[in-house]
Amino acid sequence: MTDSPSPERSIEQQIQTVFPSLIPDYPSGTALARYRTDTHQLPELVRFLHEKMRGRLALLFAVDCRPLEKKCELQYLFAFKSRQPFVLVTTELIGEERLFTSITPSIHAAQWYEREIRDLFGLIPQGHPDLRRLVRHEHWPKGTHPLQKDFSWNHVLERQQGEYRFSHIEGEGVFEVPVGPIHAGIIEPGHFRFSVAGEPIMQLEVRHFWKHRGVEKLFEQLPLIDAVLLAERVSGDTTIGHSLAYCQAVETLLHLNVPRRAKYLRSLFLELERLYNHLGDIGAMCNDTAYALAHAHCGRMKEQVMQLNDRLVGSRFLRGVMQVGGVSWDVDRSQLRNIVQELNGIQKDFSEVGAIIFVNASLTDRLETTGVLTERIAWDHAVTGVVGRASGMDQDVRRDRPFAAYDELPVNVALYRYGDARARLRVRGDEIHESIRLIREIQARIPDGPIAVKPDRSATPGAWAIAAVEGWRGEILYFVMAGTDGRIRRCKVRDPSFANWPAIQWAVLGNIIPDFPLINKSFNLSYAGNDL
Amino acid sequence: MFRIIKKSLKTGVVTGQYPESERPSEPINPAVTKRAKPFRRSLAIREVDTGSCNACEMEMNALLNPVYDAERFGIHIVASPRHADALVVTGPVTVNMERAMKDVHKQTPDPKIVIALGDCAINCGIFKGSYAVTGPVERHIPVDVRIPGCPPRPAEILEALSELRKERP
Repeated sequence: MTDSPSPERSIEQQIQTVFPSLIPDYPSGTALARYRTDTHQLPELVRFLHEKMRGRLALLFAVDCRPLEKKCELQYLFAFKSRQPFVLVTTELIGEERLFTSITPSIHAAQWYEREIRDLFGLIPQGHPDLRRLVRHEHWPKGTHPLQKDFSWNHVLERQQGEYRFSHIEGEGVFEVPVGPIHAGIIEPGHFRFSVAGEPIMQLEVRHFWKHRGVEKLFEQLPLIDAVLLAERVSGDTTIGHSLAYCQAVETLLHLNVPRRAKYLRSLFLELERLYNHLGDIGAMCNDTAYALAHAHCGRMKEQVMQLNDRLVGSRFLRGVMQVGGVSWDVDRSQLRNIVQELNGIQKDFSEVGAIIFVNASLTDRLETTGVLTERIAWDHAVTGVVGRASGMDQDVRRDRPFAAYDELPVNVALYRYGDARARLRVRGDEIHESIRLIREIQARIPDGPIAVKPDRSATPGAWAIAAVEGWRGEILYFVMAGTDGRIRRCKVRDPSFANWPAIQWAVLGNIIPDFPLINKSFNLSYAGNDL
Repeated sequence: MFRIIKKSLKTGVVTGQYPESERPSEPINPAVTKRAKPFRRSLAIREVDTGSCNACEMEMNALLNPVYDAERFGIHIVASPRHADALVVTGPVTVNMERAMKDVHKQTPDPKIVIALGDCAINCGIFKGSYAVTGPVERHIPVDVRIPGCPPRPAEILEALSELRKERP
């Protein structure tokens, strides 16, 4: 690799050397460099960013620019190593143009994004290896593309006959096991189609979007300030993560400077959310190995944190706390002291339970080498969050692109390389201790002052911003574009689940079906956040 | 082994350590309580998610943790609608889930009770009117009990379920 650019130079300089004709512009507020390119140069450029520069495809989405201009924009967002700005590549489809070049053949992570764009915008990725429907199930009428601007948000869909073609493996002794959409436990709906020969899984096809509620279209009906309510309900267990990412994007649009106290409180709430979810996940993973004792202990501690949330702000899921410009709920000194006291108790409690579960030989036996996601496959799918960190992908938005109060609260990132269910359990265990440590730091450092500022101007129509937040599952991304009358023109939501779901299809290969619930739980992805 | 026993002794009994539900549950139609009579001591529930944000699922799951321990009231969650006495439906019924939900309702043996859990299941909540939503639940199947909230607290769910099975003269 003689043409490999040297790592000392900035990304923009390296792009400049290879593509001298491209000049970046820097939209205000968000740390990113934007390149406009045409559809011919696009595949070459994104390939360069992905393969040579090791850029992770963080987000790919479309924007229908009507009625302002008769065109559609495609946006490719790449994330690089720590503290480097995002690179956004924009290309346009003018007028009635419906075809664009698929990048899936060179960047695997684009696969679902491009199918999603095809379903929601009716733009066709040419050269995509799999053009089956993704979001629109077989009974949706032909030609319905809900995110096109001329599709009304309350359109009543008709039903048509149709069949979804699962990918088949044929051969002697190969049979299929369909599971879902309604499962045996209290979990969300999704369909899994296993092809097995004997016990080991040869192929898994995940079919989702049963819960598609039209969230992105609903955003377009709401004013910028009020849509926090909807962001809270994108994925219920990530209430703070989603509402914080949304608020940050809107604050960039409105040029709001959030007070420092509000930033600390935001970090506090985000860590509380991480805590109760990780505690619950560790218990649920133990439960899937039939280790009921650990499940009971973890369920008890999770409940303790949720009751703490309830006492603190009147909602077990911390709903109604986030608002554009800050937070709507202050936590005073004595409350903070109580939180830290209670969490110290939980940390001791959890350490004792951890000392029991991590030395349990039968648990270790079930978890080790189960559902291995190699670093290579994780990278190819641009996996984020807990799942990525268990497979050696050293990334955490809190450290890489500090938001809220994390510029003053350095985070120790838990990192494991084995990529099996046990590594995912360990990452969660480490993050529980880290979260409690962070909350202690917050108590020690939180400044006095106001907790919110009022928005004093409206956003320019057509202005946009991108925000990233490390929720407990991983990187949450919001793209918000302002419209007229203080409304939203386009809001793209990317829950970490959307990036991680395809990877599960690879992690299960060679495992047995009875281990699938355990592997699924170790990923613990949101169906609601994925289906939108 | 000693470590496990020590931990269990130290922890003690946590069941029932939760704040009582403040909100009085909605009055239940006497015809429904009459139909629920056979399930009085043991209610088998099948939970169906038709597009919720998953907060309601988390609260249903919380019912089974040691703090709420719904099993002590004879409430248990079953794996198939064919084993169920009651369906708990959450979420605003999406276009894609409509058929699955109707199928589940058909598969549940009579007599059965349908419980709409959470604001979305009762009136579609914030998702009302969307192209992808065909709900609320009662547009498709008859609903007997409504438990409002976004999401309702586990104590409120327990309260409503015990109200349903109360002995009445």
